[in-house]
Amino acid sequence: MIGFLTRRTGAAIIVLLVLTGAVFVLQQYSPGDPVKAYLGANASPAAVAAERVSLHLDDPLLSRYWHYLTQAIRGDLGISFRTHRPVVTDLGAFLPATVELVVVAFLFALLLGALFATIRTLAGTLVRGILLVGATAPPFLLALGGIILFYAHLGWLPATGRGGDGFLLAHSLVTGDWAVFGAGLQHVVLPAFVLAVAPAVSIGRILRASLQQTLGADHVRTARAKGLTEAAVFGRHVLRNSIGPGLSMAGLQLGFMFAGVVVVEQIFSWPGIGNYLAESIPAADYPAIAGVTVVLGAVYIVTNTVVDMIQALADPRIAL
Amino acid sequence: MIASVDDLHVTLRGNPVLRGVSLSVRPGEILGLVGESGSGKSMLALSLLGLLPPDAHPQVTGTVEVAGVDMVHGSAAAHRAVRRRELGVIFQDPMTSLNPTMRIGRQITEVTRDRAQAVQLLEHVGVADAALRLRVYPHELSGGLRQRVMTAIAVAGRPSLIIADEPTTALDVTVQAQVLKLLRDLRDEYGCSVLFITHDLAVAAQITDRIGVMYAGRLAELGPTRDLLTAPAHPYTAGLLRSRLSLSTPRDRDLPTLQAEAGSRGSGCAYHPRCPLAVDRCAEEQPPLTGSDHQKSCWRDISDMPAGNSAPDPGGHGAAAEGEPVVKLRDIRCDFKVRNGWRRAGTLKALDGVDLDVAPGEAVSIVGESGSGKSTLLRVIAGLIKPTAGTREVTGGTQMVFQDAGSSLTPWLTIGELLRERVLKLGRAEQDDRIEKALTAIGLPITVATARPRQLSGGQRQRVALARATIVPPAVLLCDEPTSALDASLAASVLNLIRKLRGDLGMAVVFVTHDLAVARLMGDRIVVMTGGRVVETGAADDLVSRPQAEYTRTLLAAVPEITS
Repeated sequence: MIGFLTRRTGAAIIVLLVLTGAVFVLQQYSPGDPVKAYLGANASPAAVAAERVSLHLDDPLLSRYWHYLTQAIRGDLGISFRTHRPVVTDLGAFLPATVELVVVAFLFALLLGALFATIRTLAGTLVRGILLVGATAPPFLLALGGIILFYAHLGWLPATGRGGDGFLLAHSLVTGDWAVFGAGLQHVVLPAFVLAVAPAVSIGRILRASLQQTLGADHVRTARAKGLTEAAVFGRHVLRNSIGPGLSMAGLQLGFMFAGVVVVEQIFSWPGIGNYLAESIPAADYPAIAGVTVVLGAVYIVTNTVVDMIQALADPRIAL
Repeated sequence: MIASVDDLHVTLRGNPVLRGVSLSVRPGEILGLVGESGSGKSMLALSLLGLLPPDAHPQVTGTVEVAGVDMVHGSAAAHRAVRRRELGVIFQDPMTSLNPTMRIGRQITEVTRDRAQAVQLLEHVGVADAALRLRVYPHELSGGLRQRVMTAIAVAGRPSLIIADEPTTALDVTVQAQVLKLLRDLRDEYGCSVLFITHDLAVAAQITDRIGVMYAGRLAELGPTRDLLTAPAHPYTAGLLRSRLSLSTPRDRDLPTLQAEAGSRGSGCAYHPRCPLAVDRCAEEQPPLTGSDHQKSCWRDISDMPAGNSAPDPGGHGAAAEGEPVVKLRDIRCDFKVRNGWRRAGTLKALDGVDLDVAPGEAVSIVGESGSGKSTLLRVIAGLIKPTAGTREVTGGTQMVFQDAGSSLTPWLTIGELLRERVLKLGRAEQDDRIEKALTAIGLPITVATARPRQLSGGQRQRVALARATIVPPAVLLCDEPTSALDASLAASVLNLIRKLRGDLGMAVVFVTHDLAVARLMGDRIVVMTGGRVVETGAADDLVSRPQAEYTRTLLAAVPEITS
């Protein structure tokens, strides 16, 4: 176990080094002058040159990268060229919104995926069909369709924003502020659903296939031969043995969802890191881009590590 | 009667698998059900359990009764109650038949959840440290212990009938003997009946009171074990007994085989196309099962059966040429790193200092139980595994034939393409010529060249694997249990073919098997292995009649034989 965590931490460090390194190399070779963005379009050439020096932008790439890394270890990811605030402060402001959106979307995806995998009635076929159609549509189309239907026509749900800031849902849930919680939920439903549909289908298909495989397994025949009811057979002998592939897929999809928020947050004007990233890229705001990259990479690694640990708990044959 | 079926017909996906079986299990008896794959014996077991696979849309006529309950029509709840109270089951492969993610204690007494009872049952089936073992998972146990756990599950509900479907087929021969003894002891103690399903008449002979021989979904013969084995009344039973390979089968003759399955069965006796006694009536009319105590389903009288017809083996037996060995292994060691659960990695010594010489044209059998290192040794000779230490000299090419011909042939290539791969350097015309010769040599029609592996039977696939290995004759043919997945009648003909090819092509053969009887028939010399070491080497007949090593004696004692 300790060996496993050590190996994963080592891998995480390497992955983060590669990711930030890639951002630095991109910065070197991409057009657009971040200093102009930083100082404004009207800055004099002399001021720009001076600022380049003070931002260390004229230093060799490796030395700048080294500077970035040593600062990062102290928790300093640099200053955003665009917002003029520390990137860490920006992330602190935008990350909670994204976390809440993705967590809700992930719960949706698990729920819909489980429904997709297990319901065997006509209604189940219908749900599967709707999900499949939703998953094949591009997210922006789904988002626009949802806004037109639920906001413009029915007026059930708001189209943009999230009705507060910070960890809005978590905070109101803990403090029992149901009015705020309800409003937050209303805001989050549509974007979360758009984000969840494609992952739900991926999770559901894998889970469905592995459930069907397990149902035909020899040990399930043994369980039936004991005279257990179908519910007991399913609950005790099928579920735990089928969950592994579904879990792997869920872990992967959670990572994809954090990356997928860029489009969805833009459409719903959701104040999260997806929106932040979308605004940073055209401004050549590399400190901000690198900061978001580090966060996404870390989320990816942590979720997959957690998934592997849950799998080892579910299946005693897996040794970490 | 504990359980009975009457005129039972079962059709799965439109294919008849049982075609009129009538049979009763008497209180306290062990009833053997013997047949080759596809004979319907497992389907009979599933019918008794009320667990015919629903996806196969089973159509059932006739009656199945267990403890007075109708297992065809009654409610699902009633069937479950019968399974819970009256039936216990032991399936073939204890690895896949136990839930891999549930502790064995929980699995044994899943219905009652009684820990003390689980300990008692485990002790009963001969598992030491039962209280500690309750918390382990199936993969942490050996095959023999797993099958004991399976047996504990089967007797947990104090059943009146235990259905054992090939319970020892996946086990080593020494473990098989222990499990058979355990089953007999449990029957004596609990006074339950046992329905014992196997493909091996000799195994059935060890344990059963009565034997039913199944063929193509019907009972060919049913009678007391001793009667049936000493005086078989059906030509199929007689053929099975005659083609059984034992430690006393003559080595210098072709192995006796059953006539291969051929042609359609029509409306008459399903066995008639293969039967040496068949007359016109057999093809037209299905014989009923007649007789009182010893019943048979045959129009003819067994005393008309012709005597054994095996020809003297034309192959070059004992033709081992003198000269430099084609295989020369010295002090071969092979270590594998293993990780076991949460514990640290250890080292498994698969081979621990093995020396082996194979002379040109010589046939050597390597015999051992699972984990003895015999397959690893074969792979070292083939160059598929690099030994950790030691020297390996192999002159001339080697070719390998594996146990499962089905998965060792590429499924999307035709047989012709599979064979052509090995002779690509030749011209097109010569390639075709070689393919035709290779197919003729293994006794298959040339039309097989356009077939794909799944269109062939298991025996045919193994023949194709042999053709692929010998289309360019190797100096050494390496065989890894090539017949252990085949039915007895097919196995003998494949073994004959290997012997013939060896004689015709003058190649050496290294034959790995777990079966001493087969080892004796296939090798001039036998090498006995256990734990990665060679414990004894000797000329085939000497080793079997005068074993020197203790381990060889244990192995010999465990070989099930039919004594008359």
